[in-house]
Amino acid sequence: MKMKEYELFIGPQHPGITGNMMYHLWVDGDTVVKAECNVGYLHRGFEKLMESRTWMQNIPLVCRICVPDPDVNEMAYSMAVERLMGWREEVPERARYIRTVVLELSRIAAYLMGIGSYAGALGIYTLPQWALGDRDYIMDIFEQLTGARIYHIYIWPGGVRWDMPADLPKLIEKTMKYLEKRLKLYDDVFFKNRIFFDRAVDIGVIPKEKAIEWGVTGPNLRASGHEYDVRRLEPYAAYENIDFDVIHYPELGKFDVLSSGGDAYTRMLVRRLEIEQSISIIRQALKKMPSGEHLLKHPNWFKWEVPPGIAYERVESSKGEYGYMVVSDGGKKPVRVHVRGPSYTHGINVAETILKGANIADVSQILFSLDICPPDIER
Amino acid sequence: MKAKEIIGRGEEVHGRLYVKVEKQEVRELIKTLKENKFQHFVMLSCIDWIDDGEFELVYHLWSYEYREHVMISTRIKREGEEMESLHDLFPQIETYEREIKEMYGVNFIGNERLTPFFLEGWPHMPPMRKDFDSKKFIKDVFESIPPVEDEDEGI
Repeated sequence: MKMKEYELFIGPQHPGITGNMMYHLWVDGDTVVKAECNVGYLHRGFEKLMESRTWMQNIPLVCRICVPDPDVNEMAYSMAVERLMGWREEVPERARYIRTVVLELSRIAAYLMGIGSYAGALGIYTLPQWALGDRDYIMDIFEQLTGARIYHIYIWPGGVRWDMPADLPKLIEKTMKYLEKRLKLYDDVFFKNRIFFDRAVDIGVIPKEKAIEWGVTGPNLRASGHEYDVRRLEPYAAYENIDFDVIHYPELGKFDVLSSGGDAYTRMLVRRLEIEQSISIIRQALKKMPSGEHLLKHPNWFKWEVPPGIAYERVESSKGEYGYMVVSDGGKKPVRVHVRGPSYTHGINVAETILKGANIADVSQILFSLDICPPDIER
Repeated sequence: MKAKEIIGRGEEVHGRLYVKVEKQEVRELIKTLKENKFQHFVMLSCIDWIDDGEFELVYHLWSYEYREHVMISTRIKREGEEMESLHDLFPQIETYEREIKEMYGVNFIGNERLTPFFLEGWPHMPPMRKDFDSKKFIKDVFESIPPVEDEDEGI
């Protein structure tokens, strides 16, 4: 007798789901026939709220759009405001380097969280414990630099809020050395573990020729074989003066190329290898950091007006392209701020397409390998 | 700018090519750009220009080859005017149109998935419209919920 197709709801309360969202699956036996993403559990109306607050009051709001990687929001918003204000070239050199360090620290923290959750989805519970524990050492750095652990409210239009304390580079270097040591252990436990090879290869494939058209960006795009990185294509902060590799398929360094790219295996290895690149970027930025001012002299916060215009600025986040479109009519408040979150495409159209034909047991790892983050879908 | 050569119009605004067009021309322009290496559809934005009585729809495209960003902008009337759906050109446009329908009330002809997205059972005005007053809404809806009077009730 043929088994009847049935419906399965994963989330919003489920350990195998990437946050406060839900997937509605139609399943035949063990195979997913159709998937539908269902969001709305996290809508906080940030974009609406931003229209009724002044330009500066929005900084504490934007970082809340992505919990694991908040600094990219402050950066993209600040860049768009700087563009409208005509400050683009005036941001102090020191601030650019501090921003680079902050963004890369945030990227490592987000990757640790992403890798940990992914390993959890495969049932290897050592890595989530380790990765989240190690992420806390980065939070310690943030606490010393900005006063906060998660939402830093640190990158402002025109520079950064405070200068970097003189003894902080020592702590950062100590943490980076520690992370390098830990990454070797991560490899032994997870990235060179047979469970990972057997489970992840050729699962959830995003074909190279479709990736750009589907709106795939960031590490997921690079895993499909495109050597594209916003830090390289449209350099911001101090990335222009920093030397780093754009990790992409099939150049996976010390790891074996086991698939034809675009699968969960490659996506996770790209993230793993990018942590090493981030460590190298942080070291270079700290070495090259000049002395001087860290913030432009601002107009009065409450009377500050931004010239009319429309600007779009993008940054490379740990999940993909983050972009802010900011529209001003010359007033004290923005007319419109529209956030382009990377998960908007990854979590909805891309996930719905690649989940078709997957085994139920792989649904969770496919979603985690895309590093979907629901807050940037429903801003 | 390469995009300006391809489509032969537009002006540079803050480093991006900004093209103002009529709504009938949008499809042809995006198609031409897509065929000429502008293959990354970044997003579709809607701006409410309430004083002009218009919505501005902005289609953002990016080319990895030329490293250029194009904004194609078209304006439609706030009340009663519809827009053609372009989800057959890029699949993710479907989601953006779905959000704009919910948040601004713009109808996209040809998009069959304009179902509730973030909001569920929302009988009020689309909330991202400028004339939707959030403070008044909160006052009207939540202040009418009677407070729990008898503290002995329940657990």
